[in-house]
Amino acid sequence: MPEVFIDNERYEFEGDHMALQFILDQGMEVPFFCYHPSMSIPANCRQCMVKAGQYIKDDETGEYELDENGERKIRWFPKMQTSCALKLQDGMVIQTQETSEEAERAQKDTLELLLINHPLDCPICDQAGECPLQIQTYKYGPEGSRFEVKKVHKPKRVELGPRVTLDAERCINCTRCVRFTEEISETNQLTIVSRGDKNYPMTAPNQEFDDPYSMNTVDICPVGALTSTDFRFKARVWEMNQTPSIDITNGKGCNIDLWTRDNQVLRITPRQNKAVNDYWMPDEGRSAYELFNENRASRPSIKLDGSNQSNTSWNNAIETFAETIEAHSGDDVLVIGSPHASVEENYALNKFFNLLGASNARFTPHIIDGYGDGFLITDDQAPNTNGCRLLNLNETDHKDLATAISKAKVCIILSDNLVGRKVVAASDLGNTYTISFATNMTETAKASDLVIPITCVAEHAASYVNIDGRIQRSFPAKETKYTNRRLNLEMSEGRLDRYGTNFDNWVSEEHKVDCLPLWDFLNKLAERLGLDYHVNHSRTILAEISSAIPSFENVTFEKMDEQQGIQLNLDNQKIKQK
Amino acid sequence: MVEDWKSYEPLLIPDIPNLHKIDVYEDNGGYEAFRTVLGDQDKWSRKNVTEEVKAANIRGRGGAGFNCGLKWSFMPEPDDRPRYLACNGDESEPGTFKDRNIFEFNPHLFIEGALIAAYAMSIDTIYVYVRGEYIDWVNKFEEAVEEAYEKGYIGNNILDSDFSVDLHTTYGAGAYICGEETGMLESLEGKRGYPRVKPPFPAQKGLWGNPTTINNIETLANVPLVINNGAEWYQSIGVEGHTGPVLYGISGHVNKPGVYEYPAGMPVMDLINDVAGGIRGGKKLKALIPGGASTPILRADQLEGVSMDSNSLREAGSMMGTAGMVVMDEDTDMVDLLWRITHFFHHESCGQCTPCRDGTGWLEKVMVKIKNGNGEIKDLDLLLDMTTMMEGRTICALADAAAWPVRHTITRFRDEFEARCKKSVHAVA
Repeated sequence: MPEVFIDNERYEFEGDHMALQFILDQGMEVPFFCYHPSMSIPANCRQCMVKAGQYIKDDETGEYELDENGERKIRWFPKMQTSCALKLQDGMVIQTQETSEEAERAQKDTLELLLINHPLDCPICDQAGECPLQIQTYKYGPEGSRFEVKKVHKPKRVELGPRVTLDAERCINCTRCVRFTEEISETNQLTIVSRGDKNYPMTAPNQEFDDPYSMNTVDICPVGALTSTDFRFKARVWEMNQTPSIDITNGKGCNIDLWTRDNQVLRITPRQNKAVNDYWMPDEGRSAYELFNENRASRPSIKLDGSNQSNTSWNNAIETFAETIEAHSGDDVLVIGSPHASVEENYALNKFFNLLGASNARFTPHIIDGYGDGFLITDDQAPNTNGCRLLNLNETDHKDLATAISKAKVCIILSDNLVGRKVVAASDLGNTYTISFATNMTETAKASDLVIPITCVAEHAASYVNIDGRIQRSFPAKETKYTNRRLNLEMSEGRLDRYGTNFDNWVSEEHKVDCLPLWDFLNKLAERLGLDYHVNHSRTILAEISSAIPSFENVTFEKMDEQQGIQLNLDNQKIKQK
Repeated sequence: MVEDWKSYEPLLIPDIPNLHKIDVYEDNGGYEAFRTVLGDQDKWSRKNVTEEVKAANIRGRGGAGFNCGLKWSFMPEPDDRPRYLACNGDESEPGTFKDRNIFEFNPHLFIEGALIAAYAMSIDTIYVYVRGEYIDWVNKFEEAVEEAYEKGYIGNNILDSDFSVDLHTTYGAGAYICGEETGMLESLEGKRGYPRVKPPFPAQKGLWGNPTTINNIETLANVPLVINNGAEWYQSIGVEGHTGPVLYGISGHVNKPGVYEYPAGMPVMDLINDVAGGIRGGKKLKALIPGGASTPILRADQLEGVSMDSNSLREAGSMMGTAGMVVMDEDTDMVDLLWRITHFFHHESCGQCTPCRDGTGWLEKVMVKIKNGNGEIKDLDLLLDMTTMMEGRTICALADAAAWPVRHTITRFRDEFEARCKKSVHAVA
């Protein structure tokens, strides 16, 4: 097998490899800026310099030639090589900054040069704390600078488009953003303008950078040149918690991270998953963070007189719920599951009401034909349509569902804004006693007789099946009134969570929503009704689903975590993919 | 060193009136080489043409001095992909203005050379990329191309053979970097002139990803001479290791600046004193930049016995480059000169690679400081250190081209630079 020698260690390799990626794959490090594994290699930042050469092989014997000391002879390449564009060859010798002073010097020089025209405004820069330029300067850069003349000045605070702001002085011209619009989103909206040290990325004259994926350029920008207009100046990276989750705004289920501070989600960034979204996500999914913070259903609401809702206690809500159920037979109750809710919620709700004699829950997919783009934006507007199908909920079209609602005496709706998406009119819900399990105060929740606030994807661990049949799960990122970050092992703890006190600016109770996970509420309701039903956690529900429904066989949270989601077989269930 | 240059008769641009007209060119033996090749394709198979040119060792006239025929032999075997010849007429290095004369006075010699090259490499499309500032010469050249099309030298089934080729002329928009061979390819494709990372080399992946050879205009103009007279004859012109006629572009403080054709290996002092009429105003020679602004400057005392060929110039501590000689008299201010050179490279850096983008700007800013009398001795050492930070660390050679003049001008004229700097306030041990 071909072999290479990196920092005096021998490695075997097969196929085509570039040195930088190979070194990174081995768990070692070489600093770099312009290289991105999913895009072409421009080799323009010149940061990943290594010293490279080749052991000389005897053509006849195929053995390495030795010098008088018995050491292998090396033919060094005449110049320092950028490892990102250096293709591995049998017998290649590579010395990184760890073993070669020349490589170390070259990397240090490049950093000094990168910084001479960089504004060094880290204290007011959003990127600080997660800035490759900052990190690598600390690790590999020079102690100071010898630059004592004037820096180049370039445009600042340029709104490239509705979501991205440019500070051209911070730009190090790595062209990642330009290559992103060329190669990934294929809108070609950005290019480099001007020449030499005056250049920076820009749109065509009078054009907006309104690429539906524009904010990915903010993520891949290795400095603070491109920043999110929305997130700018909101929070420091080190003040936030980063929690893995799933994008719930469409059917693709992009893997994401929720960034929270004081139990508010402040931004959403994509999390790499080669099988789903690679490193990217659509801009739409990023604005979803507002759903987790604002207009939340907090404390149960009840309609007492006419159409006015008012908050009520949990006890009263449970009592009212129970009395309503007791006053009606199972046949009068219509249960509507939701492609917007998780697998566990849909299953628990359906099972609970089956026990009470209601027929199988219905659901109606939320699909807008022609909305998708074949990449990460889908026609399907919900994260779990296939999950509902695999749970064998009764798939119903809009018309039939409206008819069923008009016939039912009690209608139970799981977080689905049926009014907002015009499946039914708010007035249609007036003829039936409507109970909504709601995360947000949507038109549907507002038109309901009883609103039970439940946790959203940012507050519970639950799984979702995307349009390709991949089941993936969320982690709780925000605390509710009834959860505690320190006691919940699934929740991440940031610096402020560990060391913050009530005297800190960013530690408060005010952003904790008064809601319960659906299954917890059903436990309380079962207790009141005297029903033999109890689940501890979404994990228990998934275990039950996994043993009850063949499609979910062997599906566990742990396995999903290990494999970044599990591909389910959609064919068994005769599910058409949309 | 060439001794008998006075008897030399120009070959590339002979003194024939109206030679740029195709009839005159034909009457003087023009397109004979191309006819010979196409007429006897057994003797002049594609391989034999390449071998002959390789044996003649035409050193590329664009600056790198690479064997032209050897470059041709790097082209892969023809497959179903298109193949291109990209002719580089973007000459924009300060001090270089030789290809202009070919476009003006003998365009058909170059066209003939390009056609033979296209034949030898089975190329079906030729692009001629001319410097944008040369718009008058672009127009002149396009007339010549039209004539060649009319006479059937370019087009389909040329001279009733099975060889067909097209020639397109295009021009740049004023960027030095588009004269870098892969920057030129990008520009030809209609993109920003960012030089490409090599490998892959243009012969493997050139224009639009297809096999491409890039030759200088003057280099290709030598090809018909080789075909007509043979590699051995070509080798007899000039000096060992560097043969053939060379267009010397002499500028600066001489009495008769201009483009002069003589064999490679001309004695430098003869070129300055005899050919170019000596230093203006009877002044003394101070320094010479032998081959365009990026080649290391030589002091007058370094020029003794030096000839204009790659070996002799390398021994003297410089390079042949494009043979665009910039002559400077005793009144020349070396600090101003170096500032102007750093200004040029700062202005022309494409901005792709960090060391060049930021380094060229830094060089110029420090030079401005020194020029204005605000420099310190430590700035000279900083400049020298910066040349190390830039050289050999970029995709193309522009950073090298910017670094060399700084390094060599400072080391070779250090006294002058120190005299312009402020006295150090620190005690010197």
